Amino acid sequence: MKNQIVSIRRRALAASEEHAHALRERFAGSGTLVPNLISSPGSGKTTLLEATVRRFAGRYRISVIEGDVATERDADRIRALGVPAHQVLTGGACHLDARQIDGALSVADLMPADILFIENVGNLICPTTYDLGEDFKVALLSVTEGDDKPFKYPAIFSRAEVTVVTKADLLPYVPFDLEAVRGYVASLNPGGTLLVVSSTTGEGVDEWCELLASRLEDKRRP
Amino acid sequence: MHEMGIAIEIYRTCRDTVAEHGGGRLRQVRIAVGELAAVEPDLLVFGWEAVVADTPDQGAALTVDFCRADQRCPACNQAKDRSEGSWLRICPDCGTPLEVRGGDELDVIEVSFETDEEGCP
Ligand SMILES: Nc1nc2c(ncn2[C@@H]2O[C@H](COP(=O)(O)OP(=O)(O)OP(=O)(O)O)[C@@H](O)[C@H]2O)c(=O)[nH]1
Ligand SMILES: [Mg+2]
Ligand SMILES: [Zn+2]
Repeated sequence: MKNQIVSIRRRALAASEEHAHALRERFAGSGTLVPNLISSPGSGKTTLLEATVRRFAGRYRISVIEGDVATERDADRIRALGVPAHQVLTGGACHLDARQIDGALSVADLMPADILFIENVGNLICPTTYDLGEDFKVALLSVTEGDDKPFKYPAIFSRAEVTVVTKADLLPYVPFDLEAVRGYVASLNPGGTLLVVSSTTGEGVDEWCELLASRLEDKRRP
Repeated sequence: MHEMGIAIEIYRTCRDTVAEHGGGRLRQVRIAVGELAAVEPDLLVFGWEAVVADTPDQGAALTVDFCRADQRCPACNQAKDRSEGSWLRICPDCGTPLEVRGGDELDVIEVSFETDEEGCP
């Protein structure tokens, strides 16, 4: 028996991050924009994707990877609109991992695509840490969840390039200080963008789609 | 508790490291966790204990070095402290966005282990 001490400096998530890196190269090669949508359960991720798919019909090739603990429901909702979707079932895990994105791409017909949306498992904490090879993270916050979420879960709001306040049609019915949220998110993430949308009325959906279109154009600019 | 998933990843990284050095049983692992990494050190240690239990590495200790982020205000041209528990990334004195360096570490920095064989190089 011999004791040995090895000094290394290796990212704790090195194995997973290598997958993410390979994915990012692949998406760069194919010119595919990949937004990673993160929010609490029920903030309106799938509903916003449905609205987005309808807006972009005939303009972009879209595919979707859905992450949920159980059920194919979300993928079925997207497929009903004629868009390829693959459901990753995490079986209890609270986030998606780059290996699962790899896996999804190898078993499902999702590529080629102009935009590949990843809807992460409903959770504001765990998905924050995991790189999926995405272009940017999108944090969604519905007005019914309360305006204190960015204060309670600052990590995701400081890392998401885009914050989307959803269910804006309900603003008249719930106490939600939009300006306070705007100010706080801006301080957490000075370079970020905040959008206010309602998938129900369509408010803000055009701005959201324009943001995606311009990010895609940027990515493809030689 | 996502620290559990991270503990599993750390364990994988450590096992890989040991395997690259001839194999053996883990004794102690030292990691760096930044204050902005969204990882709770106590929960991570708790998760680690659960991960190594019932493996040949049972009892291996995880030590966490907690790293502060380095924040500078470009306008005041000085380092600024974050007030305890606050994530604000603006200068408390002049409101300019701060330049933040580090604080997002989640690194394995040292792996101690017992080699399987006597006197092997
Ligand atoms: N009033 C209103 N309701 C909405 C809006 N968007 C979504 N909803 C409702 O909110 C509920 C949850 O929406 P989903 O899109 O399934 O939420 P999700 O974030 O995908 O949920 P999970 O995948 O389970 O985490 C549904 O009942 C939607 O009809 C909106 O803009 N306004
Ligand atoms: Mg959903
Ligand atoms: Zn200043």
